[in-house]
Amino acid sequence: MSDRTRAARIIAKKQVFEALIGPGFYVALAVGLLLGYFLVSAFARSVDSSGFNPRLHPLYDAIGRALEGAFGTAFVDGLFAEGPLPFAFAVSYLPVFLYLAVSSVFKFGLERNAGAVELVVYGPADGTSYLIACYLKDLFLSLLALVVILGFTLAAAGIFNDFAGPALFLTAVVAFFLSLALLAYGMFASMVTANAASSLALFLGIVLFFLIVLFGSFAIVGEYVRSLSTVVGNVVQWISPFYYGNLSLQANAAGDPLGLLAGLALLVCLSGAILAASHFIMQARGVRP
Amino acid sequence: MIQTRALVKRYGTFTAVDGIDLHVRAGEIYGFLGPNGAGKTSTIMMLLGITRPTSGDVLLFGERYTSRRVHLRRRIGVVPEKHPRGVWPWMTAEDYLRFFAELFDVPRPQERIEALLKKVDLHTVRNTRIREFSRGMLQKLSFTRAILHDPDVLLLDEPISGLDPLGIQQVRDLIVSENREGRSIVISSHQLSEMERICHRVAIISRGRLLTEDTMEHLVARLFHEREIQVEVEQVPPGLAPLLEKLPSVLGCAVHENTLVITVPRQGDYRKPISEFLISRGLVPLRIQERMVSLEEAFVTITQENIGSLVNGGDRR
Repeated sequence: MSDRTRAARIIAKKQVFEALIGPGFYVALAVGLLLGYFLVSAFARSVDSSGFNPRLHPLYDAIGRALEGAFGTAFVDGLFAEGPLPFAFAVSYLPVFLYLAVSSVFKFGLERNAGAVELVVYGPADGTSYLIACYLKDLFLSLLALVVILGFTLAAAGIFNDFAGPALFLTAVVAFFLSLALLAYGMFASMVTANAASSLALFLGIVLFFLIVLFGSFAIVGEYVRSLSTVVGNVVQWISPFYYGNLSLQANAAGDPLGLLAGLALLVCLSGAILAASHFIMQARGVRP
Repeated sequence: MIQTRALVKRYGTFTAVDGIDLHVRAGEIYGFLGPNGAGKTSTIMMLLGITRPTSGDVLLFGERYTSRRVHLRRRIGVVPEKHPRGVWPWMTAEDYLRFFAELFDVPRPQERIEALLKKVDLHTVRNTRIREFSRGMLQKLSFTRAILHDPDVLLLDEPISGLDPLGIQQVRDLIVSENREGRSIVISSHQLSEMERICHRVAIISRGRLLTEDTMEHLVARLFHEREIQVEVEQVPPGLAPLLEKLPSVLGCAVHENTLVITVPRQGDYRKPISEFLISRGLVPLRIQERMVSLEEAFVTITQENIGSLVNGGDRR
């Protein structure tokens, strides 16, 4: 094992421990699970003899109206085609992912500014070891959160008699691969900025931008919005994790497993490319803020 | 042990380090001195591979250093000026050292940690969280971390800055003790009185240029050809100073209250003829003190007044 890999493993272990002894991860997980529970339990009350009817429960009524207004009925029908579980799963994971990504980006900036990264770099580690360690920690915690949420969602499915179909598992897989790329963007934002606040602002800006571009192309609220999003999307889609995530889901819906795998592989490649760029920036700038 | 060759670091158009050649020898305490903004930190960052030189070479233990040669960096222990506060608040002193021991792959880490904590007198607070540590305790902990993996060279950046007198003495004792155990020590500092007490050789840097690198003794010899002897008597009789100035070894004499300040050449011991002269005049020397040129004076002389003459091999006085 090289010095760099060994150092990254040791730093990652410390960081995972650090994250698990604090309350943040558990609070985010609890919020996510609570949201998931509400969505699954409310779904049971939104089903009548004709099937899923969002108007039967105020929560789904609100969600349904908002999504239908923006993206159309077909989008909502597709979203709930296999019951509430994939949607509930995604919503449960969102706060945990946001917590992990935001805290990671913020913490890296903070540690670099305080001189903690430099302290580690005085030894056998280097800036890249630290970067890899942060990323490994994020991946481990994301995976842990996904497993916990999946287990909880399956338990809720059992309680409320919902069907846990392949869409739920696919959502979990795509969420993980999507996290790979988004967390890599987190590292990138930390590398190109000078302090924790600007790293965070840049990261959130990047995620928001890609989300707007993606959802803009689905939007039915205005032709202009959709056209603009499509044009911008055509330019930036190659670097957008959501584009490849959506590509995977579309390939799966079309019964194309190779397309699904290609989409996931592209997410891995994108993550690798972003991390490589972060590494070169780190090499050029050094670990000092 | 550590050598630089024509080391240059530029930030845009600003040259922070301008062709520095340093040479730290095995087993010495080497003071790297300079005013704020002189280029000390930029040089150290290049020595550690934290930043890349614009040009020039860094040689560690005879090998040309690049950031890929991590095995060379492992042989250096670093005590930064400030220990990072506000990060890793959950760590106790022992957790902290255990983490670095694992990172450096220290053999028998627990034994080593315990021995070092005893050495720096922190064993009683081994289970205290480091966020509760004072500046002095943090500095000692930082020192412990730096020697944890038994490096050949210790590099200390302003090691006594912000410490109380007791903390200064403890850190000084640690430096001297580590040096006695055979470790070479490089200290970057502007605390000149302390450097004078412990450094074998010093390098003085100003505006990115190395002005001199020498032992204290040689440095003073090169800069100052005279020295002062202060003689305290009960009362200085009128007209004594001109008489003293007639002595062959005396270059000048001034009177301050009951003290004669006599200027003599730097070489030789002139206390005896001066004492004999005073006694022959019925005076009893109450105290004779030779005022040594301090590093601070040498530093001021070199960095502010005498840069040109030093570079050109000229002298002062």
